[in-house]
Amino acid sequence: MYTCGIDVGSVSTEVVILNKKDNKIASYIIAATGSNSKEAAKKALEDACKKVGIAESDIKAIVATGYGRINIPFADKNITEISCHARGAVSLFPDLKTVIDIGGQDSKVIKLENGSPIDFLMNDKCAAGTGRFLEVMAGALEINLEHFADIFMKTKEKVDITSTCTVFAESEIVSLIGHGIEKNKIVKGLIYSIVNRITSMVERVGLEEPVAMTGGVAKNLGVVRALEEKLAVKIKIPDEPQITGALGAAYLAQKLS
Amino acid sequence: MGSVLQNLKEQTKVKLRENLNQKYITRLLNIIVSKPVVLAYANTFSSKSDKYLNVFSLKQIKNAYSSHSPTAYGSLFLPYELFYSLGILPFLPEVIAGYSAGLGLADKTLKKASSNWYSQDLCTFHRSASGAVELDLFPKPTFIICTSLACDAAQKSFYLYAKNYGIEDNFYLLDVPYSHTPESVSYLSKQIKNLSMDICKKLGKKLDINKFKEAIELSNEFREWAIKVNDLRKTLVNYPLNYNGLNFILPFHGLAGSKDGVTLYKEMYKEFSRCLKKQKAENSGTKKTHKRILWLHLKPYYKNEIFQTLEEENCKVVFEEINYVYWDKLDPDRPFYSMAQKMLSHYLRGGLENRIDAILNMAKDYKIDGAILLSHWGCRQSNGGARIIKDSLNQYNIPALVLDTDCVDQNNSSKGQIKTRIQGFIEILNSK
Repeated sequence: MYTCGIDVGSVSTEVVILNKKDNKIASYIIAATGSNSKEAAKKALEDACKKVGIAESDIKAIVATGYGRINIPFADKNITEISCHARGAVSLFPDLKTVIDIGGQDSKVIKLENGSPIDFLMNDKCAAGTGRFLEVMAGALEINLEHFADIFMKTKEKVDITSTCTVFAESEIVSLIGHGIEKNKIVKGLIYSIVNRITSMVERVGLEEPVAMTGGVAKNLGVVRALEEKLAVKIKIPDEPQITGALGAAYLAQKLS
Repeated sequence: MGSVLQNLKEQTKVKLRENLNQKYITRLLNIIVSKPVVLAYANTFSSKSDKYLNVFSLKQIKNAYSSHSPTAYGSLFLPYELFYSLGILPFLPEVIAGYSAGLGLADKTLKKASSNWYSQDLCTFHRSASGAVELDLFPKPTFIICTSLACDAAQKSFYLYAKNYGIEDNFYLLDVPYSHTPESVSYLSKQIKNLSMDICKKLGKKLDINKFKEAIELSNEFREWAIKVNDLRKTLVNYPLNYNGLNFILPFHGLAGSKDGVTLYKEMYKEFSRCLKKQKAENSGTKKTHKRILWLHLKPYYKNEIFQTLEEENCKVVFEEINYVYWDKLDPDRPFYSMAQKMLSHYLRGGLENRIDAILNMAKDYKIDGAILLSHWGCRQSNGGARIIKDSLNQYNIPALVLDTDCVDQNNSSKGQIKTRIQGFIEILNSK
C-alpha cells in the first residue's frame, strides 16, 4: 500500500511515495514550484507515480504540507511543515531532539520529545536566514551555489556581512567586491551570517542533542559545518534532506489510510 | 434585508475611507447611533449584548465627537470611574486606533505618523493614533489624562497629542509606582485627588463627591457582573454567535463606572446563563471535544484568519487576559484611595511575577490546554516577558505559542506564516 506526501514550498515542490509494506521510499521527485503550485504538485505527483509504475489511484492517502499545502485539492489532508519535517526527520533518526530546517522561504527549529514536536520557532517575515538569501548572494557574487561549501572549507578568513535584509546584503556584497575584497572571504562571511541567525533561533528553542538538519540548505556542507562549529554539536543530515517534509507527510498519510 | 444592511455597512466603510475627515466622521457617527438606524440594524446583531457592545461603544465615541461636554483623552489602564465622576467624556485613542484598523483606515494614519518622524519601533496603536491626531481626525480634547502603568509609550504619545492641540497645561500623568505599598497608595491617591480638583477648577465647578460615590458604586456593580460572567465562562462552551471576548477592551476599561457598563455585563450574564442552561440540557459541554485556549494580550483588529483557523481546528478561546478582574471591590466613601488601589492592583504593574501569577490563575481556573501570547509589534511591556511567560506555562505542561505580529498594521503581518504557526501549535496540542 502506498501513501504520498507533497511538500509545496515557495521555491521547490517535493513528492515522496512511501510503501507501507517496508516503510521504504518507493520514489521521490524534486521539482521547481514555479508560478502555479497546484500544477507543479500535480505534475510532480504524476512523475513520482510513473517512477514507481503505479497509478495515482493506487495511492491510499495524500498529505500536503508546505506553504502551498492548502491549495492542493487532491490531498486528503494538509498538515503543517512543522509536524511533517519532525515526522520525516524522526523516521530517519528516531532519537532526535532538535530539527533545524532551512528551506527556500523560511527556516524553523523544532524541539522534539519522544519523536513528537513540543515547541518550534520560525524565522521572521524576511528572507534572511533562508535558502533564498544564499541564492541571491550567489547571484550577486556570480558563483554557483554548489561551490559555496568548497569555498567555505578552503577559506580561512571571512568578512562580516552586517546587513540583515537580503536586498541590502546584496548591495553590501557588490560594494565589498568593488573594494577588491576576495570573493571567497565574502562567501565565508555570508555563511556565518545565515548561521548566526539560525543559531539564535536554536538557542531560543533550547538546543538538545541529537540534532538533525533538513531542507535544501542542508545540502550545503559549508552551512552545516558552520552550524556545527557555532552550536558545538554534530548535526545529522539525511541522504536527501530536501524531501524530509514530504517524507514526513507520507508517513502521516499512513494514519489516514 | 440582512444582506442589504450588510452591503450598506460595507459601502459606508468605503465612503469613510474616501471622505476621511473629522466632519464626515462626526456626521456618520450621529447617523449610526441614531435611534432609527439602531432599530433598523437591531436584527443584524447576534445577541442583545452584542447590540449593547456595539451601540455603547459607538455612543461613547459619538459623544466625544459631537457633545458639548468636555472630552478627555484617556490611555488604557486608567480608572474610568474618574471620568464619569468628573463629568468628562472619555475618548480612548489607543482603542480607536484598533477600530480604525478594522475599518481599513490604519494605512493612512500610519503613513501620516511615519511622514512626521514617528519611529517605526513605536507601537502601532500609538503610532496610528498619532497619525490620526496629526490628520485632525480625532475630536479636540479639553483634557488629556494618561498613566505610566504598564505602557511606556502612552505617556510620551499622549503628551505629544497635548502639544499638538496646544493644551500642555491640561495634560495629566498618573504616575503609578512599581510597588504596591501603603505609601504608593497614598502617593497615587493624592495625584488622583489633585487631578480631580484641578480639572474641576478649570471647568469652573466644585468637586462633587457624590458623583464619585455614584461612579464607584456603578463600578462595583460592573465588577460583580463581570466576575459572574467570567465564572460562567469556566464551563460555558457554546457562546452566543459572534462572541469574541477580545472585543471587550473598550467596555472593560472605558465603561467601568457607567450605567452602560453595568447594563452590558448584566445582559451578558443573562445570555451566558441561558447558553449554559441549554448546554447542560443538551449535555453538549460535558464531553470535551475541543482544545481550550487562553489568549494573552490583544488581537489584530484588521481582517485576519486567526479565529477562523482556531475554530476550524476545533479550538476555543475560553478566556482572554484582558477580561481578568484583577481589583477588589472599591470603597465609595474613599474614591481616590479606591481608584489608586485599583490601579496598583493591576497585574501589569511592577515585576513580571504579578502577570505570571495572574496568567497561571487563569490557566487553572479555565482548565486550558494551551495559551497563545500575541506579541504585538512595539509593545515592550508585553513582549519583554514573552519567553518567561512561555516557560512558566510550560512548567505546568501547558504549551504556549508566542505569535509575533501587529494588531494595527497588517503590513507587519504575514497571513501564511501566522496560519502555519497557529496550525503547527494546534498540531502540538492535538498530539498531547
